[in-house]
Amino acid sequence: MSIVKCTHCQLEFDESVMITEDKNPSVYFCCNGCQGVYHLLKDDGLESFYEKMGNSTLAPPVETDDSVENFDLESFRQRYIKTTPEGFSKVDLVIEGIHCAACVWLNEKILDDTDGVLEASINFTNNKAKIIWDEETVPLSEIINKIRSIGYNAYPYEQSKEDVKATSAQKDYFLRMSVAVFGSMNVMMIGVAKYAGLFSGIKPENLHLIHMVESLFATIVLFYSGWIFFRGAYYGIKNKIVNMDLLVSGGALITYIYSLTILFGANGHSYFDSVTMIITFVLVGKYLEVLGKKSAVDTMDKIKSQVPLEATIVNDGVKKIVALDEIVVGDIIEVKNGEKASVDGKSIVNLSTFDESSLSGESLPVEKREGDLIFSGTINSGIVMRYEATKNYANSTLSTMVNLLEDSLASKPKIEEMTNELSKYFSITIILLAIVTYFGWYFYSGDFEKALIIMISVVVIACPCALALATPIASLIGISWATERGLLFKEAKFIETFAKATTVVVDKTGTVTEGKLTVKSQSKELDDYQLSLLYALVDGSTHPVSKAIKKYLIDEDKAIEIIELEDIEQVNAQGMRATFNHSTILGGNLKLLLENGIEVNIKSDYTVYHFAIDGELISTFELEDSIKKDSQEMIAYFEKIGVETIMATGDNQHVAQDVGKKVGIKKVYSEMSPLDKAELMNSLKDEGKIVVMVGDGINDALALSKADVAIAMGSGADVALAMSDVVVLNDSLRGIKDSFVISRRTYKFIKQNLFLSLVYNVITIPLAMAGYVIPLVAALSMSLSSLIVVGNSMRIKLKEI
Amino acid sequence: MNAVLKLELIVGLFVSFTLLAIFIWSVRKGGFDDSKKMMDGMLFDSEEDLRDAVRRENKQKALKEKKRLEMENSSKE
Repeated sequence: MSIVKCTHCQLEFDESVMITEDKNPSVYFCCNGCQGVYHLLKDDGLESFYEKMGNSTLAPPVETDDSVENFDLESFRQRYIKTTPEGFSKVDLVIEGIHCAACVWLNEKILDDTDGVLEASINFTNNKAKIIWDEETVPLSEIINKIRSIGYNAYPYEQSKEDVKATSAQKDYFLRMSVAVFGSMNVMMIGVAKYAGLFSGIKPENLHLIHMVESLFATIVLFYSGWIFFRGAYYGIKNKIVNMDLLVSGGALITYIYSLTILFGANGHSYFDSVTMIITFVLVGKYLEVLGKKSAVDTMDKIKSQVPLEATIVNDGVKKIVALDEIVVGDIIEVKNGEKASVDGKSIVNLSTFDESSLSGESLPVEKREGDLIFSGTINSGIVMRYEATKNYANSTLSTMVNLLEDSLASKPKIEEMTNELSKYFSITIILLAIVTYFGWYFYSGDFEKALIIMISVVVIACPCALALATPIASLIGISWATERGLLFKEAKFIETFAKATTVVVDKTGTVTEGKLTVKSQSKELDDYQLSLLYALVDGSTHPVSKAIKKYLIDEDKAIEIIELEDIEQVNAQGMRATFNHSTILGGNLKLLLENGIEVNIKSDYTVYHFAIDGELISTFELEDSIKKDSQEMIAYFEKIGVETIMATGDNQHVAQDVGKKVGIKKVYSEMSPLDKAELMNSLKDEGKIVVMVGDGINDALALSKADVAIAMGSGADVALAMSDVVVLNDSLRGIKDSFVISRRTYKFIKQNLFLSLVYNVITIPLAMAGYVIPLVAALSMSLSSLIVVGNSMRIKLKEI
Repeated sequence: MNAVLKLELIVGLFVSFTLLAIFIWSVRKGGFDDSKKMMDGMLFDSEEDLRDAVRRENKQKALKEKKRLEMENSSKE
């Protein structure tokens, strides 16, 4: 059988399981959702979406049971909808499921085509959307329905003050940085003519012309782009702090004023190029910092948009929808299938199932009996159920986690960056040396101009260009090398932290193991008829066990005849029941069979799926979460380089120990809640360890935010990806090993570069102070030192991993 | 020679500052707010997309006009 692509989502599947159409044999669909969206787009003339998509793939559309009526409630209006001065309504949404630019195009297009929508703009970088519309023409629920109809989902979020501030700061820095880069590039081009002329001879009037143009660019860069340094320096002085801004702005201003005196007739050499370079280099670094802050704010908005808006409480048999803050302890809350529990409580019904993957990371639904605890943020995966609130919203698990994440994002622990610290002391020393040199020469020779020129030489020769470049150039090469190997470092500084790491904490599900159940054994072979019945039964369920059985049957390459069962029924927390030609078919756990009077004598430590026809057990499948193939190699590597490995999982002790033993992890922590994992991070850090956390689920997000470096698998939950500092795009554990190798090697080169630039300064600064270096040579040797650093960094990629 | 150099510089500066001004205008208008979308800009550049843009503009104009009239009527009442 051949592998074909789904015409809508472009994911590849075996041809035998695809939905085909008689009218159009060239199309294949992996599910009804994809088929529905494809036809909707075709009918609306939006087929160009597939051309725009290129080679990207989509997640198949998921049918959501969330009601859209909430979007038209008054409480929703008050919280999320704002009115524009023109009288239109405005809402900010986070759109879920955006994978490529074509997704953005499609959503914008479908909204633009909706009557009453004035403006719909979606930001591809952070998936946030701003929609302005006329409520009298179209209600918001209809707009949300439009988005859902094409396979995406939308959640509202409150645009925070931090978001507004971070967005405007990002724009401001981007503009200033762009102008600085523009100025530097022009000055560099003119510089070629100037320096070539100085060696081969240049007419004084031409040199003057060049100085004039240079001064024009330097003025713009210094006073527009560099304005933030002057502002920072001013506030620093006001608070009696010598900060980097003071040194940068002070150094650049002295050089600028000196160069102006040259321009207006004094003898000597101008340094407008140094002025623009200093400002540009430091500003690029600052811009990256601002970007980091902005992405932290975006992450928080995404997390907040996942919090349910309202809850249904039942009072004397009357249902009422209330805001989460209004829920009090003792309220009876009703949760429908697919809805999230809004506050913590205890179940008052006898049987229900909850998807607790947001807490434990385990994908199998958890059974809840009367009196069992229900945690906020977990999803009801069974039928409608009711529970009693034992905590209000502010004290519930979900709210606690959101608050903790917010705090840790605002103060994400960072190891002090060595280079920054070094530059700070270096700059103070140089300024002091320059001042000493100036007064020394002034009193020694009595010549103001000579003293000034020598002082400028000291400043220029010591201009921390090589020092400033030592880290970014090596990091840039390291990061590009990592990207080639499918590793995304979100910020360069994590290379340094990574290289110093002493402990790695790994999550079990999805990191060490595949996170998907696979069939380990089957008690008895099935004949073709039984096979068809079993396939039809598991095909009707989205439960992870059913999915695993379905995949097993397909992988076994069995010729399955597709039949349609009658009366398919989901038995809550137990399995499925159906009939076919008057036969009763059962598939599920032990309880399902026992309750139907079927005796089973099989005991197993694994997840078990029984299949029975007409009261007779036909076959039993044992399922397990298989271990990723590179796990052992990765753990062995950590041991070799002396990094301690710890496994922390929400799963039970038996399974955790078993997996730990198989892959060679000695320290295993089991039954860990997200808060426990975060606590573990804190205690490890208190012991002075530098911790790398590897995880992929929502339950790992808090621990990831507490770690010194957080690594997430590319297929992980959105929140985990947002929290991480490094993303392993190909999900392979080799990626984690590669990250270690690359960061350790890059860090080695950073140290070499710093050493080289310091050696250069130790030799040249005394010469400059002694007056042996004219400013021109100082400027040239400064460039040479930068070249050495760049050349050395190029060697990073020479090693094979 | 000097005059040629001066002319070249003036033209060069004029062109580069004009481009810078266009760039600044574009940043202020939000053209660079979404770095990813900007990179994929070519995908949204077909004739059909241009027609869409015109249609969108006309629709916005009509909606704004309708809203203005509604607000005027309600304030009169």
